[in-house]
Amino acid sequence: MTILEVKNLRKYFGDVKAVQDISFTVEAGEVFTIIGPNGAGKTTTLEMIEGLQPPDIGSITIAGLSWGKDESEIKTRIGVQPQSSALFDLLTAEENLDLFASFYPKRKSTAEVLEMINLTEHRNKRVKSLSGGQRQRLAIGLAMINDPQVIFLDEPTTGLDPQARRNIWDIILQLKQLGATIILTTHYMEEAEKLSDRVCIVDQGTVISLDTPAALIGKLTREREVRLSFFDGEDAAARTEQALRDRQEIVRMERDSANLTLWSPEPEQALYGLLGFTKEHGYRVEHVSIREMSLEDVFIAFTGKEWRD
Amino acid sequence: MNAGTQLKKLFIAQLKTMFREKAVWFWNLFFPVILMVLFMVIFGGGGDGGDFKAKVALVKPTSSTASDSLEAGLRKIPVFEWKSEQAVDSDQADSWVKGKDVDAAIVLPENGNGGDIRLIVNAENESNATTQAIRGILDRYVQEASFAAAGIEPAYRLQTSSVSSGSKDISSAEFLLTGMISLSIAQAGLFGMVDMVEIRRSGLLKRLRMTPMRMGLYGLGGMMVRFVLSFVQIVLLTVIGVFGFGANLNLNLPVLIIAFFIGVLAFNALGYLISSFSKSLESYMGVANITSFLMMFISGVFFATSTLPDWLKPVTRVLPLTYFVEGMRDGMVYGSGLFNAAFWSGIGILTLWGAAAFSLGALIYRKAKVEVR
Repeated sequence: MTILEVKNLRKYFGDVKAVQDISFTVEAGEVFTIIGPNGAGKTTTLEMIEGLQPPDIGSITIAGLSWGKDESEIKTRIGVQPQSSALFDLLTAEENLDLFASFYPKRKSTAEVLEMINLTEHRNKRVKSLSGGQRQRLAIGLAMINDPQVIFLDEPTTGLDPQARRNIWDIILQLKQLGATIILTTHYMEEAEKLSDRVCIVDQGTVISLDTPAALIGKLTREREVRLSFFDGEDAAARTEQALRDRQEIVRMERDSANLTLWSPEPEQALYGLLGFTKEHGYRVEHVSIREMSLEDVFIAFTGKEWRD
Repeated sequence: MNAGTQLKKLFIAQLKTMFREKAVWFWNLFFPVILMVLFMVIFGGGGDGGDFKAKVALVKPTSSTASDSLEAGLRKIPVFEWKSEQAVDSDQADSWVKGKDVDAAIVLPENGNGGDIRLIVNAENESNATTQAIRGILDRYVQEASFAAAGIEPAYRLQTSSVSSGSKDISSAEFLLTGMISLSIAQAGLFGMVDMVEIRRSGLLKRLRMTPMRMGLYGLGGMMVRFVLSFVQIVLLTVIGVFGFGANLNLNLPVLIIAFFIGVLAFNALGYLISSFSKSLESYMGVANITSFLMMFISGVFFATSTLPDWLKPVTRVLPLTYFVEGMRDGMVYGSGLFNAAFWSGIGILTLWGAAAFSLGALIYRKAKVEVR
């Protein structure tokens, strides 16, 4: 079932073309991640979907409802954790949850949410004295207090240490298990790869690519990177490089003293030939690896930009 | 959830937020109390106003019946505090005056029967208030003594009494008390809306707009909290003014409630206006400080506006604080009833200020919301 449909969104701010043309659909129960370099139009897109600003043209349908006609109904069905964790700093975690719960016709119990975001122990602490990770978890708790159909998480782990980040991943995976639909933006590739069902890469206000993480990686060139380093030093590396130069399955080679890097669409074949040569000449190989392609490579390949610019 | 429950939750949440903020306690309760106590102590808010004393010395060159009776008469004047029980010689008196051990020395006539009574003061103090007062008192005394000596009953005498629009005279204690109450409430309104800047800066405003809660309820809950704060201010300051400084109140509750209600609304509207165009806490505080500082001294909070220079008076007739202070005094000390044209015109001007500030603020907010990015 399609829960969110975004069609031909466009938003200009004067000369700035924040969003040019963005369309996608999200199925119920999916974790859908939007990634893109800074200024790509992620936040503007998200804010249009969340009803904070109207698009210049294009349409947004959430569970069959649209912002123009069903604003208050949509607001009861979505939960939002904005980039800045905006909370009542002088209220306790529990008081924040209780207050937000009173805004909605349907609500989860405060105790249940506190348990899910792992703040039961700190429920009587004022937000002011919570750690960054705890505040962020509370913000996620507020986004789920109304038991929403769609949850928007805008960079939920930015600025957190690895442990705090993992805690938030656990919450997201738990939500996913409960069948919630999650729209996520993130700066961390590992996060997108680990959590998402589908990833949408946005750059310069348009969708560049949209697929499962595995399929996106598969779309990249099939050349794989093979690295090896020689125990017997630069001389052995140079001779091996010389000997393998004419091999068809090897597209390109680079050498840096005793380390050799080669690219091949058939890495197994290339390795077979390579190790055959070293064995024949008695060269000892210290280290061999075939690098895994990651979403980061996909990102760089599609946008031409380093991930964190 | 229904609007009533939501309003209750929003009211309680904002009430907790306000009273958990230490700065609110300091600036809205502790600071006005300190300021009022200081001013009352400085301006002698004891209420009787009869604390004036002048320290004098007497020089009696010769002893005679006439000079003895002059001395006896002088010693009965209550504001004179005598440096010595016995008259001293003129050298001793001179040195006391020079050393400022006394405010003045009174020298009786040389020949004991008639002639000049001289007053010696330190040249540095020649024109100060104490000298003027001593001179006035002595002048009056000498005149009466002369009439008595000549056996004349004066045809005219001056009787002094003061007139106020209310049933009682108001002393500096009541004046300062009502001034401080009005100032504190006005300040709470002007500065309190800084929350609006803060929730906009932190993104909380945006976050709240994403919920189905109506922002009007949030604003209403906030206003109720501000009324609670102002109520606490008025009660606290009144208790201290009445029990600590003997202020006499002449309450007219309907008048007081109207002035209080309109005043709280008007000054919160001004704060709201400031918040609408302030991008940061600093700029909000800057504007609020200038506004409150400008009004504080020329709106009749600490001294009556009639003591201000003439060119400044038209300004005070425009400022909202002037009318708020007057309205609060109408309700708390003058005891003037509801049928009082000056009160209603003041309330009218205050209402205009509030309505104009609120409309302009709302307009700026609406425009900003359209431009929000």
